[in-house]
Amino acid sequence: MIRVKVKKKLHGVKGDFWLEVDFEMGAHFVVLLGPSGSGKTTLLRSIAGLETPQEGYIEVNGSVWFDSKKGINLPPQKRQVGFVFQDYALFPNMSLLENVMYGMKIKDKGKALELLKKVRLELLKDKKPHQISGGQRQRVALVRALAREPQILLLDEPLSALDEDLRATMQEELKNFQREYAIPTLMVTHSWEEALKLADRIIRIEEGRIKEEVKPKRTPLKFIDKRLEGEEVVLTVSIEGKVWELSINKKDLLQGVSKIAPS
Amino acid sequence: MIDLGALWLTIKLSLITSLILLVVGIPLAYYMAYSKSPFALILEVITTLPLVLPPTVLGFYLLILFSRNSPLGSLLENLLGLRLLFTFEGLVVASVIYSLPMMTHPLISGYRSVPKNLIEASWTLGKSKLETLIRVILPNMKSSILVGLVLSFTHTLGEFGVVLMVGGNIEGQTRVASIVIYNAVEAIDYKTAHIYSAALLLLSFFSLVALYLINRRWFL
Amino acid sequence: MLFLLTLLVFFTFVKAEVIRVFAAADLQYALREIAELYMKKYPEDKVELIFGSSGKGYAQIKAGAPYHVFFSADMKYVESLYKEGYALKEPKPYAIGRIVVWVRRDSGLDPSQFPQVLFDKRVRKIAIANWEHAPYGRAAKEALESYGLFDKVKDRFVLGENIAQTASYITSGAAEIGFIALSLTKSPKLEKMGRYWLIPEDKHKRIVQGYTITKEGKNVDRFYQFVESSEARKVFVKYGFVLPGEKP
Repeated sequence: MIRVKVKKKLHGVKGDFWLEVDFEMGAHFVVLLGPSGSGKTTLLRSIAGLETPQEGYIEVNGSVWFDSKKGINLPPQKRQVGFVFQDYALFPNMSLLENVMYGMKIKDKGKALELLKKVRLELLKDKKPHQISGGQRQRVALVRALAREPQILLLDEPLSALDEDLRATMQEELKNFQREYAIPTLMVTHSWEEALKLADRIIRIEEGRIKEEVKPKRTPLKFIDKRLEGEEVVLTVSIEGKVWELSINKKDLLQGVSKIAPS
Repeated sequence: MIDLGALWLTIKLSLITSLILLVVGIPLAYYMAYSKSPFALILEVITTLPLVLPPTVLGFYLLILFSRNSPLGSLLENLLGLRLLFTFEGLVVASVIYSLPMMTHPLISGYRSVPKNLIEASWTLGKSKLETLIRVILPNMKSSILVGLVLSFTHTLGEFGVVLMVGGNIEGQTRVASIVIYNAVEAIDYKTAHIYSAALLLLSFFSLVALYLINRRWFL
Repeated sequence: MLFLLTLLVFFTFVKAEVIRVFAAADLQYALREIAELYMKKYPEDKVELIFGSSGKGYAQIKAGAPYHVFFSADMKYVESLYKEGYALKEPKPYAIGRIVVWVRRDSGLDPSQFPQVLFDKRVRKIAIANWEHAPYGRAAKEALESYGLFDKVKDRFVLGENIAQTASYITSGAAEIGFIALSLTKSPKLEKMGRYWLIPEDKHKRIVQGYTITKEGKNVDRFYQFVESSEARKVFVKYGFVLPGEKP
C-alpha cells in the first residue's frame, strides 16, 4: 500500500501555484494524466526523493520515506524506486548489461541477462546505448529499473520519444511487464489514449490539483466495417454481441482519437 | 653543448603540477559546479582570479606568504622543514595556484555537461554521490578532464612572472625554461634562447595536437 | 609516459651540493671565467651563478633565497645585508667598476662624441639600467646629471632591469645607444659587436663593488678566498675592473 500526500510550491509560466495532491494506491497501474506544467512530473520526482515538498507524507509498504512533520526525508538512494526517465538516462559509458547490473543490490549477471532476454536484447548486451534504437533503449531503461527490485515503478512519459507504431508495441509490453511483476506503477503522460490503454486507474491533474479520477472500463470492441458518408466516417463495430454504428467527423478523427474518449 | 636540464625541470614541474591539479580540481570543481550556495560562486571567482591577475601580483602575494617572516612560511619551515621560497616545492605550490583555473574551468563545464538525468538515475539506482561521481560523472566527462590536464600542463610550461618572483633562478630547482630564455637573451646568447623557445613552442603545439586528436576520436 | 617518469626519478637523485652565487649582472662574463678557473682547481665543488640587479639579489636574500655568496655592484647592498644580520662576513670590496657609452658598430654612431652623440638624429632610444636597484644605472644617472643632460634625454630612456638587460636592449636594436658596464663590453661577443667610450671617473661616484657570504653559506670560504687570488684578480683586470687599492 502506498500513501502519497504532497504539498509543494511550483513556479509555472502563469505564476506560482501549489501542487497539492493526496492519494493511495496498491499494486496497480496508475496513470497521472494532465497537461504539461501541471505538476505531475514534480509529483513523481517527489516520490523518488529527487525533489523535496514543503509539506507532506509518503509511505510505501509500511516504511515512511517522507514526513515533513517528523522531519523524515530519505535520500533517493534509500528509497527503493524504479525510475524510468523520459529520455531513459542510460549511462553512455556502460554496455547494456552493465547498465542493467548497475542498480542491483547483489550483482547477478544471470538475472540481468534474463531480464535482457525478456525484452529480446540479450544478443546486444555488449552494445553501448548509442548503438541501439530508441525503442530498445526504452526497454533497457525499463529492465534497469526493474533490476533494482523496486517497491514502486515510476515512469516519466516513458514512451513520448517513440514514434506512433513503436509506441503501441511498447504500451503492450509495458502493460504485460507490470502485470507479471505486480509492481505498483505510477506513470506520467499527457495522452488520454495512452492512459486509457494502460491504466487501471487514471488520476487527472490540472494546475497542481486532482481534477478527477477515472477507472477506465474496458469493453472488448470488435471492428466490422468502415465507410465514408460525406464528412463523416462511419464505423461498424460490435460491442458485447450487439452491432453499433459510430459516426465521427473526419476533422475530429484527424485531430486524434482523444476526442472520443469519455470526458 | 647546450644544457637542457632546465627543459626537463620545466616538464617535471608541469607534469607534477597538472597531476596535483587533477586531484585537487576534481572535488573543488565538483563543489563549484553543483553547489547552489553563494560561497560556491565566490569560490569560482577566486579560482578564476589567477587567469586575469598579472602574474606579478600573484607572485608578490605568494612571496609575502611564503616568506620565512610570514606566519605560514615560518609554520611550514618549523613544522615540516619545508621552505617554499626559491625552492622547487614552492614552485609547485605557486604553479598549482597559477594554473588552477586551467583545470577547474574545463572540469566545471565538464560537470555541467553531464546530463542531470544520468546523475539522478544513478541516485535512484541506489548509488551514493561518490560512487555516482566515479562511475557515472567522471567517465562521461573524459574529454574535459583531458582538456584540463593539457591546458594546465602547457600553461605551467610557459609560466614566467610568478617563477621570477618566488622561484628566483636556481639551477635544478627553479631555473625553468622561460627563465633560461630570459637570461639567455640578457646574455646575448641567442642560440640557447632559440633552442629553448623552439622546444617550448613544439611541446605546446604537440600537446594541443594530441588534445584535439583525442577529442575528435571521442566525439565522432 | 614511462620515459618522463624515468626522468623524474633521475632528477630527484642527481642533486649535488653546490656553491650558489648571486652576482650583479656586470659580472656576467668575468665571474663566469673565475668560476671555471675555480672548478678546474677544485673539481669536487660546483659553482652555480645567478645574475641580476644588485637590488634584486638584496631583496631575494632577505626573503630567504638560498644563495651562499653575494656579489653586489656597490657596497650599499652588502653592507645593509650585513647590518641586518643576513651576512656572515663583513663586506669586502672586490673591484671598482666603470661605465661606458656603448653603440653597435653598424649604427654608424661615434660614442666618443659624447655627449653630442645623444642628440644625433639616429638616436631614438637610450638604454640605461634602472637606477632604483642597479648601481650602474645610478652611476649613469649621476654622469648625465653632471653633464646637465639628464632632464633633456630622459624622455628617450628605455630602462633595463639590470645592466646585462640594458646591454641586450642595444644589441637587439631596441635602443641605439646606452650606458653599460665596461666589463660587459670586454666579452668576446660584445667586443666584436660594438664600440665604447669610457665615461671619465670624476663624472660619477666611484662604483665600489662589494661581496659577502650570506647566512646560508656555510662551507664556501674557499671560494670566497679564491676571489682574491691572483688568478681571479687577473680576470677582473682583463674585464676592465680596477682592483681595490690599485691605481687604474
